[in-house]
Amino acid sequence: MLLFLFNLLGYKLLYSLFIFSAKDVSLKVFHFFPLKQLFVCCLALIFLSGCNTIHANKSAILQIEQGQFTQAKQTIKQNYSSVGRDRLLHELELATILHLEKDYLQSNQHLERAKTHIESFYTISVSEQALAMLSGPSFANYEGKNYYLPLIHYLKALNFNSLAQLNPSMRETYLDSSQVEMRQLDVYMENLKSETGGYKKSEQEDEGSLTDIIYDILKPIAAPETLLENIEYKDDAFIHLFSGLLSEQNNDLDAARLQYQRAAHAYENGFTKQYGLADTTEKLALKNLARTMKLAGGYRSELQTLLNKHTSLEVPEGTQVTIIQNLGIAPEKKQLNFMLRAEARSKALVMYPIFIGSEQEKREQRLWFQMLYADTSLFDLMQNYILGDVSDVLLGTMTKRIPLGSLWDEAEDIGLIDALEYGGRISVSYLAPPKLPIRKTEIWQGNKKLADLEQFHSISQLALQKALIDAQSEIRIAFTREIVKALTARKAMQVAGADQNNLLGSFVKIASTAVNAITASADTRQWQSLPAQIRLAQFSLEPGLQNLTIKTTLNSGRVIQQSANIDVQGSMTVWHTRTFLNAAPTVNAL
Amino acid sequence: MQRTKKFLTYSGLLLSGTLLLSGCQSTKIERVDSNQEIALSDNWNAKDSQLVAEAMVNDMLTFPWVSDHLKYHSSKPAIIIQSVRNKSHQHIAVDTFLNDLKRAILRTGQADFVANSSIRNEIREERKDQELNASIETQNEMGQELGADYALSGSINSFVDEQDGQRVTFYQVDLRLIDMTSNREVWNGQKKIQKHQKRSRFGF
Repeated sequence: MLLFLFNLLGYKLLYSLFIFSAKDVSLKVFHFFPLKQLFVCCLALIFLSGCNTIHANKSAILQIEQGQFTQAKQTIKQNYSSVGRDRLLHELELATILHLEKDYLQSNQHLERAKTHIESFYTISVSEQALAMLSGPSFANYEGKNYYLPLIHYLKALNFNSLAQLNPSMRETYLDSSQVEMRQLDVYMENLKSETGGYKKSEQEDEGSLTDIIYDILKPIAAPETLLENIEYKDDAFIHLFSGLLSEQNNDLDAARLQYQRAAHAYENGFTKQYGLADTTEKLALKNLARTMKLAGGYRSELQTLLNKHTSLEVPEGTQVTIIQNLGIAPEKKQLNFMLRAEARSKALVMYPIFIGSEQEKREQRLWFQMLYADTSLFDLMQNYILGDVSDVLLGTMTKRIPLGSLWDEAEDIGLIDALEYGGRISVSYLAPPKLPIRKTEIWQGNKKLADLEQFHSISQLALQKALIDAQSEIRIAFTREIVKALTARKAMQVAGADQNNLLGSFVKIASTAVNAITASADTRQWQSLPAQIRLAQFSLEPGLQNLTIKTTLNSGRVIQQSANIDVQGSMTVWHTRTFLNAAPTVNAL
Repeated sequence: MQRTKKFLTYSGLLLSGTLLLSGCQSTKIERVDSNQEIALSDNWNAKDSQLVAEAMVNDMLTFPWVSDHLKYHSSKPAIIIQSVRNKSHQHIAVDTFLNDLKRAILRTGQADFVANSSIRNEIREERKDQELNASIETQNEMGQELGADYALSGSINSFVDEQDGQRVTFYQVDLRLIDMTSNREVWNGQKKIQKHQKRSRFGF
């Protein structure tokens, strides 16, 4: 209620300012310029102000690529407060920078705080929601995405793993700690699976009936429905595999076996396909499953069943080394703007996308709009035909129409049509297409190639699919919010008596529309320093200190080399690195 | 116009009032008894550590291993604390309850503790330094250390069950005392702790 009053107060103050400025000569400008034209210019400026600028966390990660850690930390601290609505981003971005700077203990402290913030967001703040509804999503706390928590645990476990390698006397303690993270993640994954159903073996598909065949032919027309199928984050095969590797490294073979089993199941039943991963993912999980069964002993019959089922499965022997390569930077989140108008002719609310930015960005925005929002389904085209004319049907690919029909009169009664006289701005986020110009990444020891690093997880695909899922609700919320704001402004004008049909009334209406447009910006905040891909390779190596080189070859032919001395011990040694595509050609990874 | 000015005045007052009220929120710190439980979450906390230590000491001293030891040896039993592995889902500072346990046993005077290997190495370095730098009367001899009779080790495990904002967390601490000569397990202690956390989905 208080927030509502605030909003009301905002408009009242705005109105009062105009009352005073009416005495001023500045208002005389309207005698020379037609009001609507002036407003269009004004709105265009506002839209341009919402242009996709580089986020501070993107700048920070670019600084890290150049090895400027101090500046990167400064950039984050200056732009994301540790107590404000961006506190989650403050912790996440600083944690990643510290992780890359190899300050693992500090990094974990920030990750722990990030985890606490995410826990606290479980309770939805009603006042926060009200504030967001009357202002914009970027005025609310940034709560992150559902896949952030697994990645926080992943990063924490990597930190503990590195600490174990750097402090041999504390090895057991740190390896135990890395497993603690994985156990917490296990609890999260179990809940996620029970909510979403996880990955299940697909049933044998019957030959399609005539209806199914026709439906399949017409599928492209109903793109959004099929586009959004099976893209939910419902389990994480890579996290299970990683957990298995850490457990094995810590000689907890029972836990390792269970995790490898879960990883193989998820990779086989959809995870690999959903995120476009390498074909070898499931096989590696199965190999490790067989190996841990053998190492633990007591699983003779289970092992035999597994080998009978997967006849080509070779169980690797000897000391294993797993290299995890966190590659690139997650794609950027940007803004797509719409102009919302009430169209009396067709009795509909119409959203026109406004493509702003570079040619590349305009193309991305157009594709995102057509993929998710445009009136391209048969139903939408029919609606456009019924309510408008042929031009509306053709325009369908460039508009989003919400036909009000008999509700139009009601909308007029509550003042909605009047409130949208000068239009309104709706803004939603979209994700830049994930592109990683990598030809191959390999592991070498001296002049001998040991293995190819293959894609075992795609954070960019994960982010993209989450953005696609959220897109529909995001536009619905943005749409509702702008209508609420427009109506609130109208009410405020009525209270202040500025709703007369005169120049001043129009001016106040324009001004309130402009204020709404400014605050309508989409929420483009995200954990930017996440990698785009996670690649992995596993191979046998003699115990002891081994010097390895990771060679990442880009499409341009440029090769980035990272070398490290790895202490190989026990049945499994896990080692990780991060590779930036703009990094110097030769980087010391340790 | 008069109405607008009046509204502006009230609005200003409302705004200032709200700003003043928001300024009232500040950090407040007070001292509390270290035995008082302040549970902000279902995470392992100081009270859990204390409860485990108390339960373990009470249980440990009721077992006959001390009297059995004294029957055959002239000195009190000496214990070394080996690893207590954290196999739970929480980062638990194992040292806190082990130190509580150690203090409680030492206070009873029924057993002694031998320092762990890293502390022993530090002390040995110190003794080496004494050989070079301390006067002969104040030097401590090498090779006079007390060997441990029993080794204390164990693990902490946990299970979590969570649904619809409710979470039940179960911790189990298992400790055992092994006779270092015979490998006999002379004591096995267990303490279970269960916590229930409820979180509201909506708040102001």
